[in-house]
Amino acid sequence: MAQPLVKKDDDRDEEADYSPFLGIEKGAVLQEARVFNDPQLDARRCSQVITKLLYLLNQGETFTKVEATEVFFAVTKLFQSRDIGLRRMVYLMIKELSPSADEVIIVTSSLMKDMNSRTDMYRANAIRVLCRITDGTLLTQIERYLKQAIVDKNPVVASAALVSGIHLLQTTPEIVKRWSNEVQEAVQSRAALVQFHALALLHQIRQNDRLAVSKLVTSLTKGTVRSPLAQCLLIRYTSQVIRETGVNSQTGDRPFYDYLESCLRHKAEMVIFEAAKAITELSNVTTRELTPAITVLQLFLSSSKPVLRFAAVRTLNKVAMTHPMAVTNCNIDMESLISDQNRSIATLAITTLLKTGNESSVDRLMKQITNFMSDIADEFKIVVVEAIRSLCLKFPLKYRSLMNFLSNILREEGGFEYKKAIVDSIVILIRDIPDAKESGLLHLCEFIEDCEFTYLSTQILHFLGNEGPKTSDPSKYIRYIYNRVILENATVRASAVSTLAKFGALVDSLKPRIFILLRRCLFDNDDEVRDRATLYLNCLDDGSVTETDKDVKEFLFGSLDIPLTNIETSLKNYAQDPTEEPFDINSVTKEVKSQPLVEKKAPGKKPTGLGAPPPAPTSASDAYERLLSSIPEFANFGKLFKSSAPVELTEAETEYAVNVVKHIFDRHVVFQYNCTNTIPEQLLENVTVIVDASEAEEFSEVGVKPLKSLPYDTPAQTFVAFEKPEGVPAAGKFSNTLRFSVKEVDTSTGEAEDDGVEDEYQLEDFEVVAADYILKVGVSNFRNAWESMDPDTERIDEYGLGPRESLVEAVNAVISLLGMQPCEGTEAVPTNSRSHTCLLSGVYIGNVKVLVRLSFGIDGSKEVAMKLAVRSDDVNVSEAVHEIVASG
Amino acid sequence: MGLWDSLLNWLRSLFYKQEMELSLVGLQNAGKTSLVNAIATGGYSEDLIPTVGFNMRKVTKGNVTIKLWDLGGQRRFRSMWERYCRGVSAIVYVIDAADRDSIPITRSELHDLLKKPTLAGIPLLVLGNKIDKSEALAEQALIDQLGLNSITDREVCCYMISCKETVNIDIVIEWLIKHSKTVK
Repeated sequence: MAQPLVKKDDDRDEEADYSPFLGIEKGAVLQEARVFNDPQLDARRCSQVITKLLYLLNQGETFTKVEATEVFFAVTKLFQSRDIGLRRMVYLMIKELSPSADEVIIVTSSLMKDMNSRTDMYRANAIRVLCRITDGTLLTQIERYLKQAIVDKNPVVASAALVSGIHLLQTTPEIVKRWSNEVQEAVQSRAALVQFHALALLHQIRQNDRLAVSKLVTSLTKGTVRSPLAQCLLIRYTSQVIRETGVNSQTGDRPFYDYLESCLRHKAEMVIFEAAKAITELSNVTTRELTPAITVLQLFLSSSKPVLRFAAVRTLNKVAMTHPMAVTNCNIDMESLISDQNRSIATLAITTLLKTGNESSVDRLMKQITNFMSDIADEFKIVVVEAIRSLCLKFPLKYRSLMNFLSNILREEGGFEYKKAIVDSIVILIRDIPDAKESGLLHLCEFIEDCEFTYLSTQILHFLGNEGPKTSDPSKYIRYIYNRVILENATVRASAVSTLAKFGALVDSLKPRIFILLRRCLFDNDDEVRDRATLYLNCLDDGSVTETDKDVKEFLFGSLDIPLTNIETSLKNYAQDPTEEPFDINSVTKEVKSQPLVEKKAPGKKPTGLGAPPPAPTSASDAYERLLSSIPEFANFGKLFKSSAPVELTEAETEYAVNVVKHIFDRHVVFQYNCTNTIPEQLLENVTVIVDASEAEEFSEVGVKPLKSLPYDTPAQTFVAFEKPEGVPAAGKFSNTLRFSVKEVDTSTGEAEDDGVEDEYQLEDFEVVAADYILKVGVSNFRNAWESMDPDTERIDEYGLGPRESLVEAVNAVISLLGMQPCEGTEAVPTNSRSHTCLLSGVYIGNVKVLVRLSFGIDGSKEVAMKLAVRSDDVNVSEAVHEIVASG
Repeated sequence: MGLWDSLLNWLRSLFYKQEMELSLVGLQNAGKTSLVNAIATGGYSEDLIPTVGFNMRKVTKGNVTIKLWDLGGQRRFRSMWERYCRGVSAIVYVIDAADRDSIPITRSELHDLLKKPTLAGIPLLVLGNKIDKSEALAEQALIDQLGLNSITDREVCCYMISCKETVNIDIVIEWLIKHSKTVK
């Protein structure tokens, strides 16, 4: 009787909520569906059968075409019944089955009759189904009824019509747009649901017209929105308008901020929360704007409803990333949430505290976390581990207790993802905090003594091989590594052999002993392990090989700079037609075939209706670096220092859309021209940009990478590279012309003509400025960072900025001139203030850290004066920053 | 005695309620929906919109309840007629007798429908509509042109009617009632 199935049921005894439909079979239900054809209908029975069919569909069961057709036509016969409950099931079934268009049309007439029936339930549901199955021609026939339904006095009917409108807008926008007047009337409805749906539809109708959205928001924020859900929508639309308009430069006031702030006093919690969230997500939000929002979120933290606590702590968690100081007020409330029954809330609370806490509270927090770790799930543990990692990077002095914590949890039970997060964190800490290196490596060594994950073992062995030989006492790691050769599976053994070889190559004193160990590996029963041991013994044994020491190191430590997919295809080709010649790895192309750059979508086009606001664009620098290093001509330029944001070189909606990204290297700059061909009838070939650098004297052109072909609507890049003096922030102006040959394309077949015509297209000019040579890198604690810099590198000077419109304008101008990261929210200038201090940080070309303290003052005649204090790792850089300002 | 008879009839109608199911088919604009209206209310309307799909009507005549499946006549619905004719008491095939050009099409659609094995033996009532128009075919001509005499596997009947002027609607109802089934 010990069948696994029975046992499983026993396990789940506590949750006895079995579905009454559990275990029903499709075949049997389809048999039952024959009752739909009975001359004497049993409405109750029919409803039950439909419920079963719907259950099956919702469980992922599929019907064959024949079955679905059979059921559909049988269901249509149920229109003869006047039973309201059954009719509702019929509507659901038609929507769920969604038969092919040529069949579903059979119910049109019946639905149209129901749409004009006297039963409101029929009308509402018939509208929903009809709009689901309708096509453009039919829609024009029923449009009149839908318009009436939108302003119907029954809210259920009106809502049904409005929601249908939202769906129809996707397929037949031109018709739905004609309903604006009715929808506008519905926005004023007294029924909450109608108002909500009407507002959503009205916004979607107008979403591509910024002015109209702005007008809509302006009129509605003045009052009359009663429904809390509609109010939430309005808040989202308002934030969208705020995003698009920006701060009023005259007064420093943000439009509609007062509205958002007034929503914080709404009686519905969801509105309060939505408004608070909107405020925290404002771009460049100031502390003054943030305070009221944080206050209401703080109240939510002690709410009795878990969902409110969760929402509040999640929002505060996000705020803590950018404005840790603003959240500190809530620390006491959050500390009590660490013991919250809901583990999601507890995890968020703890990670928020880790972000906002100061150095002194770290130890106390770690104690609390240690107790708490044992009763949360792995995914939450990962969140905590990541928070600890960033905390450790923020307070490097505290690495000892944090590293201890990480190694403790590394020894406890946990899944692969969790362990991987811990190992990754330790590796990052070792790399960034030199003091932590030795203890971190030993923790990792202890971990691989008892590690069940092959992947992690090999990763750690690889890392040990690179870092271990450089420590003060490399010999102490050998025992751990050789234990792997004795105890582990073949994969781990093989990588342990490689690690041993790396120690042998770098540490001469260990070499003889490593040789003994490697020779023992020659008797391994795995091919790979033996092969590696043989190879390394030959490489390292200086007597028998001709290769120089440098080559050996290159071989052992160098990384493969060829994409693996390319090697794979090349090897496949090689294996397919065998030749006498050996395979040449240099023949493998280094170019990455796929398009790694994600073109930024035009903002505002995404329907923001009911969804969340669009996420912030992510950093593309990694993708750029990969792209550039894949181009052989640019591969020797060294490490990419900075890539600028794309600069548009064409007006919007021209034939060819081109923008440029400026990549700065130590001795070179590379311009990446992202081109898009917006004409379906054309194919562009041999696309290059002719750059006139006569106004950029320090630059000389060294290379061009043309674009072979640019088909319609497929973005692609062409590059131009320039040489410039090393380390100098050379500036200049570049004028550009797009040159290409055009081929006509037959849009019906997609084939291009054979003959192309040479053509040119004038692009706009752009400049390389000093700000391009400074990376925006923030510091979490400006004061500490400032004081830890050598005061001797400080350079102070005063500048008159002349008459300016406002202090805000002057501050923004200097920030964008320097291209540095504003710290601690100091870029925001309080209204009407006469003076302001702004803190900036960044990294200058050559990896020199720069901190800037700007003090502004404005007098009655709007003359702005500025005191500029710079500290950096290099005095010359401090002076260079002054030069930038002086010449800007 | 008349009083006694009607009392008996009424009593019988309580116990022996009769019910029937009919399908109305035929080309578009033949007058199917008009016929439904004529049977149900006796009314007539000039400006009916084409039926998209089907209309379901229940009509009570005396002690007979008639379920009417009034199907759309456009080409895209014709393949679906058969599904709504299965198991009915009778198929009513309506023809625009004044539209002489469409007679060959209506003839082939009728014979295609009757060939379906699922519909074997179901009585057929053919109605030539619109005899109020002067160009309407005569009954015998209609029977000949439709080839009704070749149908031998079922009961076939043909009447000439006008929904507009309510001609012969009564004999149609009478025929239908005769073919209703008795249910308990």
